[in-house]
Amino acid sequence: MTAELNEAVAGAQAGDEEAFRFLYRSLQPALLRYLTALVGADAEDVASEAWLQISRDLPSFTGGEFRAWVVTIARNRAMDHLRRQRRRPSVPVPLQALNDLAADVDTADRAGEAIATESALALIRTLPPAEAEAVMLRAVIGLDAETAGRVLGRRAGAVRTAAHRGLRRLAALLERSAASDDVRDAVAPRPRTDRQVPHAPEAEPAEG
Amino acid sequence: MRGDDGMHARRSGGPADRAESDRLLDAARAGTPPGADADPLTRLLSAAAGPAAPGEVAGEERALAAFRAARATDGTAPTAAAVAAPRPRRRLRIAAALSGLAATAVAGVAFAAVRLDRPPEPVVPPATTAGPTGAGPTGTGPGVTGPSRPAPGTPAGDASGAASPPAPTPASSGTPSAEGGPPAPAATSGRMAGHCRAYLAKPERQREKALTTPGFADLVAAAGGPEQVESYCRNLVGAPAEGPDDEPEPERPGPRTDD
Repeated sequence: MTAELNEAVAGAQAGDEEAFRFLYRSLQPALLRYLTALVGADAEDVASEAWLQISRDLPSFTGGEFRAWVVTIARNRAMDHLRRQRRRPSVPVPLQALNDLAADVDTADRAGEAIATESALALIRTLPPAEAEAVMLRAVIGLDAETAGRVLGRRAGAVRTAAHRGLRRLAALLERSAASDDVRDAVAPRPRTDRQVPHAPEAEPAEG
Repeated sequence: MRGDDGMHARRSGGPADRAESDRLLDAARAGTPPGADADPLTRLLSAAAGPAAPGEVAGEERALAAFRAARATDGTAPTAAAVAAPRPRRRLRIAAALSGLAATAVAGVAFAAVRLDRPPEPVVPPATTAGPTGAGPTGTGPGVTGPSRPAPGTPAGDASGAASPPAPTPASSGTPSAEGGPPAPAATSGRMAGHCRAYLAKPERQREKALTTPGFADLVAAAGGPEQVESYCRNLVGAPAEGPDDEPEPERPGPRTDD
């Protein structure tokens, strides 16, 4: 996958349109999901801006991980967008998403898959922003913790911690949903919540 | 693969430590399909990284248009030589330099052509400096700047933009010395109007060839393709031979029958 991507990057830099199309198709879905976590419904617009800049700056890409280069551009566009907006979109907890996830996650057909993806992303978006972003960069964009840290300007350990907290929160959400669905699970309360500290991503110590 | 840990994770409210979280995240990014007995969190992560929906790549043509426009303006149009070139960066610099030269030359010729076309009448000094510049493009072509506007600031664009006449109104003000005019908000369409006049001033059979030169690359990009340039330009600056001030209004061509 990475070798294929690098080959396409070289092709696109030489002006090969099909190589660029391949890059777009390989990266855009994850990019759009990531941007939706950052800017909500404006993700399509921000992604367009990002691809405009990617096409323009492609000749200046000199190596390293292309995925990280692209996601850095997209993130900068998203931050500009948020500065312009002066607000973060509020994301209500999507109860429907929980139900859909429970109902559809096993479905094998494409429609079911799409709904499950949508629901999973909606749940991740309910996390505190730093945790949601860490989970998205790791699981959906597919960066390792070190590279994700470089994109975010944070240490890899801080990314690991944020992602871990996010996963625990997601697990708790899923558990609560299962408990409300299924009385059998309700008699086993979770031993601990790991949420005594309100999330303060910027003040997080650099662990590891 | 993670069946046992999955059961454990479900009971304990999620992954026990960062290392376990790392494993879950790495499995998701690797696209490892969760087994039937996978815990809900594993399935959630796998679903989040699931296959693309068609709607997610809906912007493909727009992205490709941006790619084409960027390649056109920086002079790295896809040629067989370009694809085969082993050292794109150096070649790029040379190409940029060459396209800058070519753009200057082409725009110079075009500018000369515009001036030669102009009827030999005395130049009227402009009454207002910014008035016609600002009102022209917005009045004639409001919808010309689409979302895929080409990037400004490339060597080719600057060279040709500076060398072509900047006044966007169709030769009506008759002031070739309008280069002192401030850049209007619609600077791009103003620049395009300049390109358009240069283009329309060319003899019919030279036009097609002119569009392959770097000097007209961003005009082609703005129009959306070489075959669109003609209509794009006519929208932007109007038909070339219909300047209301430059031509004496033809009287009714019928023979005079009055006494």
